[in-house]
Formats: sequence, C-alpha cells, structure tokens
Amino acid sequence: MTGARAKAWVLWSIVVLCVVTLSLPTLIIIGASFTSGDIIRFPPDGFSLRWYEELASERAFWDALWRSFYVSVICTVLSIPVGTLAAIATVRYRLRLRRTLQIYLLLPFTIPLVVSGIGMMIFFGEIRILGQLWPVGIGLCVINLPFMIWAVSASVNSLDPELENAAANCGAAPVHVFFTVTLPAVTPGVITGGLLMFVLAFNEFLVSLFLVDSRTVTLPVQIYNNIRSVITPDLAAVSVVYILFAVVAVWLLDRIVGLEIFLRSK
Amino acid sequence: MPKPSSRPIAWRLLDGAEAVARRLWPRPLRGQTGYLLLTPAVLLVGLLVIGLGYMADYSLRELDLSTYRLVDEYSLTNYQILWDRPVFTRVFLRTLLAAVLVTVFSLLLAFPYAYVMVRTGSSRLRKLLLIALFLPFFIGQVVRAYGWLIILGSEGLLNSALGAIGLGPFDLLYNYPSVIFGLIQYMLPFAVLMLVPAVAAIGQDVELASEGLGANWMQTLWFVVLPMAKPGFIGAGLVVFTLTLTDFAMPEILGGGTSDFIASSIYDAFFQLSNFGLGAAIALVLVVIGSVLAVGILALVGTGTLGMTNPSSRAQARRRGRS
Repeated sequence: MTGARAKAWVLWSIVVLCVVTLSLPTLIIIGASFTSGDIIRFPPDGFSLRWYEELASERAFWDALWRSFYVSVICTVLSIPVGTLAAIATVRYRLRLRRTLQIYLLLPFTIPLVVSGIGMMIFFGEIRILGQLWPVGIGLCVINLPFMIWAVSASVNSLDPELENAAANCGAAPVHVFFTVTLPAVTPGVITGGLLMFVLAFNEFLVSLFLVDSRTVTLPVQIYNNIRSVITPDLAAVSVVYILFAVVAVWLLDRIVGLEIFLRSK
Repeated sequence: MPKPSSRPIAWRLLDGAEAVARRLWPRPLRGQTGYLLLTPAVLLVGLLVIGLGYMADYSLRELDLSTYRLVDEYSLTNYQILWDRPVFTRVFLRTLLAAVLVTVFSLLLAFPYAYVMVRTGSSRLRKLLLIALFLPFFIGQVVRAYGWLIILGSEGLLNSALGAIGLGPFDLLYNYPSVIFGLIQYMLPFAVLMLVPAVAAIGQDVELASEGLGANWMQTLWFVVLPMAKPGFIGAGLVVFTLTLTDFAMPEILGGGTSDFIASSIYDAFFQLSNFGLGAAIALVLVVIGSVLAVGILALVGTGTLGMTNPSSRAQARRRGRS
C-alpha cells in the first residue's frame, strides 16, 4: 500500500502547488485593494475602502469600463450567428476541402496575436475606420472565433442527425428544421461559446492595444498603461472588478452547462 | 387543415422565412448551403489574411530614413538586417528557450492536475479544481501579471516574508526566471484543459489491469497512462508552445525590458523605431517559425486532441461523402 500512498503524495503536492500558484495573485490583489496606504506593501497599512471610493469618482475608469463592455457586446453579438453557422456547416454539411477550411478557420489561433493585431491595425487604418470603437469589437471577434466554433461544434456533434431527418420527413422545410430542431439542440453550445467570447473580449489586451488610441482606450489597456508607470492600490481596485466579473462568468458557466462538461473525453 | 390565420404566429413567421429563403437561395443551390453558412466566418478570418498580406508587403520594403516612409521597391533588406544583427538572434533564441521551458514545466504540472481532477471520487473537489482553473483563465493576463508584481516586488509579499526571517530582499522581478514563472502559471489552465479529454478517455480498468499484473504505480504511469494520454500532451504542448512563443504581456510586465520576446521586438520596431518594414519582417519570421514548428510536430506525431471534430462524426462525414 506504500505505492498508493507515494502516488497520492506526489500527485497531491503538485496539485496543491498548482492551486496555490493559480489562486495567489487573485487573493493578493483582493487583499491589496483594501489597504489604506498609498503604496502596496506587506503587512498592509490598514483596512479602508478609500481606493474604491477614488475609483468610483474616476471618470477615466468608468469610460474605459464602458468601452470594454461595448466592444465585448459587439464581439459576442457578431460571433454568435457567425460561429454557429460555421460550426453547423463544418460538422453537418458535405464540403469539399473540409480539412483546408477547418485549418483556415483555426488561423486566428495559429497567427500570433501580435501579428493579427498589427495586421488589422494596418488594414483598419487603410479603410479609415481605425480610432473608432466598433472595429475593436470586430477584431476581438475574429481572434477568438475558433472558441465559438469549437463550443458549438461540440453541441452539433452530439446532436443525432436522424432527428433533423425525422423532422424533414414529417414535412418540415429546411428553415423550419433549423429553427425548431437544430438550433434548440445546439443552444447550450451557443451559450457557452457566447459567454467565452464575451469574457475573452472583456479582458483581451494585446490586440486591443493596437486597435485603440488614447480616446478609445479599453480597460485592460488602461490597466497595462498604468502598470508601466507606477504601482498604486487603485489598480488593485480596478483588478477586483475583473475578479468579480470572472467569478460571475464561472458561476454562470457552471449554472448553464456545468463546468464538468470540460472533463468529458472526446 | 386549420385556416392560416389560426396557426401560431411562430409558424407563420417560419413560413415567411422559408419563402424568403427559397427566393434568395433556390433549390439548385441547396447542395452549396454548407458554403453559404461558412461565408461569414471565412470573411471575418479573411481580415487576418489581409493583415498578413500587408505585413508581407511591408516586410519587403526598406525604410527610407530621409522621409521615414517605406520605399516602393521590393528587397530583402529587412530580413538581411534581422540576420545580421545579433540582438535579433538573441531575442529569437531567448523566446524559443522560454517556449521549451514553459511547455515542459506546464505539462509536468498540468498532468497531475488533470489526472486528479478526472480520477477523484469527490465531486466537490472536482468542482473546486475546475473553479481554481477557470477563474484565472477568465481574469486575464494583465491582471494576473499585476498580481505577481505585488507578490514578487521589492516590497512585495515574498520579500516581506523572507525579510521577517532575516533574508533578502531579493530581486525577484524583472528577470528571465520571473517571466518563465509567470508564463508557466498563465499557461497552466490551457494545458490542463487540453490534457483533460485525453486523460478522461483512459479507463480506470486499464490502470487496475496494469497494477493487477504486478506493475507499480510508476510503471503503470510510464508504460500505460502516459502513452495513452499522448494525444493530449501533443495538443496541450503545441498550444502552450505557440502561445508562449508569441506572448507579449508577461515579458513586458514581469520582464520589465530585461527579457524581451519576439513580440516585444515587433512592437518596438513598429512603435519606437517607426520602422514598419523591419517590424513586419520580424512578424513574418515569427509566423513562419511558429507554423513550421506546429506543422512539423503535427506531421511527426498526429493531431492529438486538436482535431476539431470527433472521430465518429469524421467517420460519418466520410461515409456521407462516399455515398
């Protein structure tokens, strides 16, 4: 039985190490945001909500938060129909060059983000839409689109095509079949994908860095810009906004599809 | 047959949609519907292809220092500069080494995590491990890097703790190891999530059989579990490797200019030197290195868990294609 104990010991020490490393920054940020001092140090200077009060009165923060929300909504609203249709097409329809098309649709993951970002910056500049906010949403949609397609593909894969055939056999025309059989069946995938798209757009940094300017700066870019100058606790308070947001997202994901869905074998 | 007006509104809407669809997409085109559905996605991803096209164009045009514009004639000067200046070789090697290190360590840490998460009998523990994984994933890279700044800084948590027992302070930030460390913890969720399907596919009975036949747990792990989880390792390794190779935020924030990666060089060439040609050339070399390595690894060892469709649907598609 010593073998089993050694195994458990090795596995558990690594898992605990991982959990601590994953969670420590989050916990530290939450703690640091409540300091009453002007800089972050340990042990903290005392407890206060002053950094949250300062944050609440800071116009730049609310503007950046609103812009991040706006681009995330554009990204999500665009990705839902585009990704869903693409997933259905790649899984259900007979396509010539299926393999090539699938690889093409993975380009957002294989092209480095820094290259995608600068490439879109150049193109948006050429067609004179750079500096507006909505193209940022489109850019974020492009770079994360494979997540949406992947999430919906999983749902389409588990939908028995005979159900659609049965509906068609009973006289439902194609659009009817799509809206009454296919779409309801893939809805969990669409919701998962939409949630992922929203969250990823909300905290996307690198591509946003290239597509925004000083008037359209989004929240992650603003945090990054401030990190580079000086580390003050107000940034910790901003970061807590992200942590809260992530908690809600994880909770929603768990409620809607269950986190365990990611544990299934293929 | 009920009168049309007595049918539910949803039906009438759908019938309307059906009529519109028939008008816009007549029957002879029906065989092409798949391509129609794919068109929006193909167009969106096309934005990236257009961007790459611009980069390729820029990379072949030298910067004219008198006007600060790119000249019209094509040449390989920018690539020559990359090849000639040792600073770029150094950055490329530094980034490649980081990618290798981060991949190895992330996989080493991610496998036990994935294994415990799949195998544990306690659903609460499983949930806890999942939450510990997803939360950082959803918080974003910049905020997490900021957290590490607080922990590792000169007045940070770690140095204060070490100071309390009479050690330090140490310069834990703005060096190569801190970047590697930050990247490993950033990549961990990706690695675990890519490994999990492969681990979940290994039946526990296989392990029991191995142990029943006299193998100890390390032999079982080495000869049974790890080989069976290979597709997961390929997928996870590839994702972590390419993400590290192209990362920008961690080397910038935790490296503080001491350990620039390729992405930082691209950024600097574009926005500090204003040399779009040189920046585009570095970018294209990065794309080529990344693609060659990815394609090479995939060709060598198969697609692993990266295949977008599952085997059964692929078989279905093949069957349908044949009939």
